[in-house]
Amino acid sequence: MGIGALRGKANYRRPAYLLILMDILGFCLLYVSNDYNINIIYTGLAILALFSIMYTILVRLNMGDKFIILMVFMLLMIGVLMLCRINIEYGFRQIVWIIVGGVAFFAAYIVYYNVKIWNKLWALYFLVGTFLFVFTLLFGNTVNGSKNWVSFGPVTFQPSEIIKILYIMCLACYYSESWKKPLFNKISVKWQTLAISYMFIGFLVLQRDWGTILVMYSIYLFMMYVYEKDKKFLFLNLGAACVVALLGYKFLSHIQVRVSTWLDPWADVSNKGYQITQSLMAIASGGYFGRGLGNGSPYYIPEVHSDFIFAAICEEMGIFGGMAVILLFFLIAYRCFKIAIMADDPFDKAVSYGVTVMFAIQTFIIIGGVTKFIPLTGITLPFVSYGGTSMIISFMSLGIIQAISAKTERKARQSN
Amino acid sequence: MNTNKRIIRALVVICLLFLSLMTYLVWFNMFQADEVASSPYNKRQWEDERYVKRGNIYSSEGNLLAETIVDGDSRIRNYPRGNLYCHVIGYYSQVYGKSELEMSYDDELMGKGDINLTINEMRSGYDLYLSVIDELQEYAYELMDGRRGAVVAMEPTTGQILAMVSLPDFDPNTSSLEQEWSEMVEQENSPFLPRATQGLYPPGSTYKIVTASAAYENGMSDEVFEDTGGFRQGDVSVDNYGGSVYGTLDVREAFIVSSNQVFCELGYELGADRVKSAAEKFGVNKEFSFDIPVSKSEIQYSNMSDLDAALVSIGQGGLVMTPLQVAMIGSSVANNGVMLQPYIVEQVVTSSGTIMYQHEVTPLYNVMSADCAAFLQDMMTGVVEERNGTGRSAQIRGIDVAGKTGTAETDSGDDHAWFVGYAPADDPKICVAVVLENDGNAGGTTAGPIARDVMRKFLDISGYDY
Repeated sequence: MGIGALRGKANYRRPAYLLILMDILGFCLLYVSNDYNINIIYTGLAILALFSIMYTILVRLNMGDKFIILMVFMLLMIGVLMLCRINIEYGFRQIVWIIVGGVAFFAAYIVYYNVKIWNKLWALYFLVGTFLFVFTLLFGNTVNGSKNWVSFGPVTFQPSEIIKILYIMCLACYYSESWKKPLFNKISVKWQTLAISYMFIGFLVLQRDWGTILVMYSIYLFMMYVYEKDKKFLFLNLGAACVVALLGYKFLSHIQVRVSTWLDPWADVSNKGYQITQSLMAIASGGYFGRGLGNGSPYYIPEVHSDFIFAAICEEMGIFGGMAVILLFFLIAYRCFKIAIMADDPFDKAVSYGVTVMFAIQTFIIIGGVTKFIPLTGITLPFVSYGGTSMIISFMSLGIIQAISAKTERKARQSN
Repeated sequence: MNTNKRIIRALVVICLLFLSLMTYLVWFNMFQADEVASSPYNKRQWEDERYVKRGNIYSSEGNLLAETIVDGDSRIRNYPRGNLYCHVIGYYSQVYGKSELEMSYDDELMGKGDINLTINEMRSGYDLYLSVIDELQEYAYELMDGRRGAVVAMEPTTGQILAMVSLPDFDPNTSSLEQEWSEMVEQENSPFLPRATQGLYPPGSTYKIVTASAAYENGMSDEVFEDTGGFRQGDVSVDNYGGSVYGTLDVREAFIVSSNQVFCELGYELGADRVKSAAEKFGVNKEFSFDIPVSKSEIQYSNMSDLDAALVSIGQGGLVMTPLQVAMIGSSVANNGVMLQPYIVEQVVTSSGTIMYQHEVTPLYNVMSADCAAFLQDMMTGVVEERNGTGRSAQIRGIDVAGKTGTAETDSGDDHAWFVGYAPADDPKICVAVVLENDGNAGGTTAGPIARDVMRKFLDISGYDY
C-alpha cells in the first residue's frame, strides 16, 4: 500500500511539472518579447497558483479523473498566454473568469455528486431551457449578427451555453429510460424529445446562432446513434436535417452568405470574406513553427480574442502549435469518453457522453471554421477563447464529468 | 455492453474528425499557405517596411534601376528607368503586391536573414546588381519601337542575360501603376505579360536547329531530298514559305533556305519518340530555375503521332516556346553544345558592401556533342552569310554571324517573325533571340535586323575589334 501510494503520487506530479515548466517558459518568453511588462509574469503566476490549488484539491480529495484537469490547464495556459499577448487586459479578466469557473467547477461537482434525482427532472430542464430562450428573444442583445446575449446590469451572458447542458440532461433522462411516460398516453417520449430538439433549434434559428445549432444537432444525432433502437428514426432525422439544411440554404440569405464565403472568401475580401481571409493569412504566415510568440500580428484578425484565437495560436506557434491544441482537445475527449464507458449508472453515462460530444463537436466546428475546413459559424473554443459564459459553462460541464468519474471510482473501490 | 460499443464507435468518429482537421492544416500549409501569405491583402508583408529600407537594384554598369524613397512614414518605390525594366524587375505595390525580381528576391531586398541587434532603427536591405547592360537594354527597347514581342540577349559562354525586353509594357512606378491597373488588366494585348520569359510562341523555323541536331545525332545528316514545294502526308499538308520549290537539297542546303518539306520529312522519318527526346534534350517539357518566373516550353500533345512530329520539327503544331528558351538553344550551339543556366542577378550586396551572393556559371544540360554543334554552326553561318540564306539581313560587316530565321504561323492573326543568332560565329560573344508577335513579315525581314543591331551595339560597347 505504502509503496503503491508513493508511486501513485509521483505519477500525478510528473505531468504537473511539465505543465509548470511550460507555463514558466511561455510567460517568461512573452515577458521578454513584450517590453518587459511585469504584469505578464503576474498573470503566469496566477495561472500556476490556480492550477496548483485545483490540482491539489482534485488529487487529495480523490475527485475522479486526474488527467483531464492537466490538459484543461494546458489549454487555459495557452489561451491566457495568447490573450496577454493580444491585450494584457483580456489576460487579467480571463484569470478572473478562470477563478469563477473554478468555483463553478467545484460547485457543479458537489451538487451533481450529491443530488440523486437528476434523472427525474426532465420537465425542469425543458421549462428552464424554454424560459431562457424566450427571455433571450425578448430581452437579448445582438452581437455579431446573433441575438444570443442577455445582460443584467454589468453582467452579460449567453443563455444558449447553459441551454446546451440542460438539453443534454433532458435527453439523458429519456435515454437512461427514467423518462418513459407518454404524453396524454399517446405521444411516446421519443417524439417528445424530437419535438423539444426541433423547438430548441427553431429558437436558435430565430437567434441566428448557427454554431450552437450545429453543436446541438450533432449532440442529438450522436446520442441517437448510441441509444436509439429504432434505426429508421435516426435516418429519418438525418434526412430531415438534410432537407432543413437545403431549405435553409435556399431561403435564408444568412446561410447562403456563409456558404459562399466558405467556398470563395477571396471574392469579397474586404467585406464578407474579411474575417476568414484574415484568419487564413495569419495561419499561412505562421508556417509550421510559427512566427514566434510576440512576433506575429494577430491584431489584423477580427474577434481574435474569442472565436478566432486559434488563428492567432497558429500564427505565433505554427501549425504544430495548432495541432498540439487539437491533440489536447482530443486527449480530453478521449478521457471523457473513457469516463462515459466506465460509468455504471445509465443517466450518468448518457450525460457524460453527451457533454463529451459537445466539447468535441464545438472544438471541431470552430477550429474547422477559422481554418476554412467547414463554413464558419461563430462559437467559442472551450477553455481557450476569452469569455465568461463559455469559461463557466465549460468548467461546470467538466465538474459534472468529474463527479461522474468520481462516482465510478468510488463504486470500484467499494466493490474491491 | 452494446451501448459501450457504440460509444467507442462515436469516439472513432470524433477521432477521425480531429484527424481530418490536422491533415487539412498540414495540407493547407503545404499547398495553399504560400499563395495566401503573399496575398496583397496580407498586411504582414508590409510590416518590415517600417524598419527596413528596401534595397536598390542596379544595372551591370551601376545605373540605378530601382530605389526606395523614405519620406516620414511613407515608402515610395521609385523606378528611374520607367517602363524599361517592368518585365524584369516587376513592380512593388502595397495594393497590388509584387512581381518578377521584386517578388523572387523579396527576402534579399528586405535584408532578411540579417541578424538584427537594434530595435526600431532603420536598416537597409541588400542591393541587387543585375547582369543587364542598361545601354543595350535601352537600345533594344528603342529598336522594338513599340511593336509587340520580345528581345533576349545573352552571353553564350556564361548564361548572363545582357538585355531582356518585352512589349507591350507598363510604368511600374506606384502612382501610375495604381491608377492604370484596372484598365491595363482588361487590355487585350496584356501589358502585364512578360513575353520574354512567359510568352509561349510557336518557334517556327528557328526550331529547325533542334531538328537538324537530331538528324545529325541519328546519322541522317547525309540524306538528300527532293523538294517539291511542300510536305504531303495523310491529312497534313505544309507548304514552303512563300510557296518556293527548291528541287534537290541536302540537309545543309535545306537548312539555309529553310525548306519546310525537308524538315517535315526529317521529323516524320525520326518519328514521334526521337523528335520528343531531341526536344527534351534542349529543355522542352522541363522546368529550370531562373531569377524570375519562366513558363515551361512544351510539346502540347498527350499522345504525339509521327505526323505531329513532322509539324513539331518545323516549330509548329503543338510546340510552344518562350523567347528565353529559343535564346538558350542558340547559345547552346555557340557554346559547343552545352546549355548554361541563364541568370540575370549577378550579385547581392549588403549596404556595407559585403557580397552575399555571386552568380557562378552553371551548366544546365549537355544538349549535343561538340561535333554536332560545329555542324549546326556551319549551317547557321550559311543562313546569314550565303547568297541564298534567309537571314542575310543580319550580316555585320567585318565578322561572320550565325543565325536562323523563323516565320511561325498562328491560329489567329498574322505570322510571328523570329530570329535567333549569335556573333561572331567563330568567337561567340552575344546570342540574341527576337520575336515580333503577329508581325506578318518573314523573320529575316523584320526580326533579323533587330538582332543584328543589338549584336553590333553590344560588340561596340564591349570594345570588340572587328
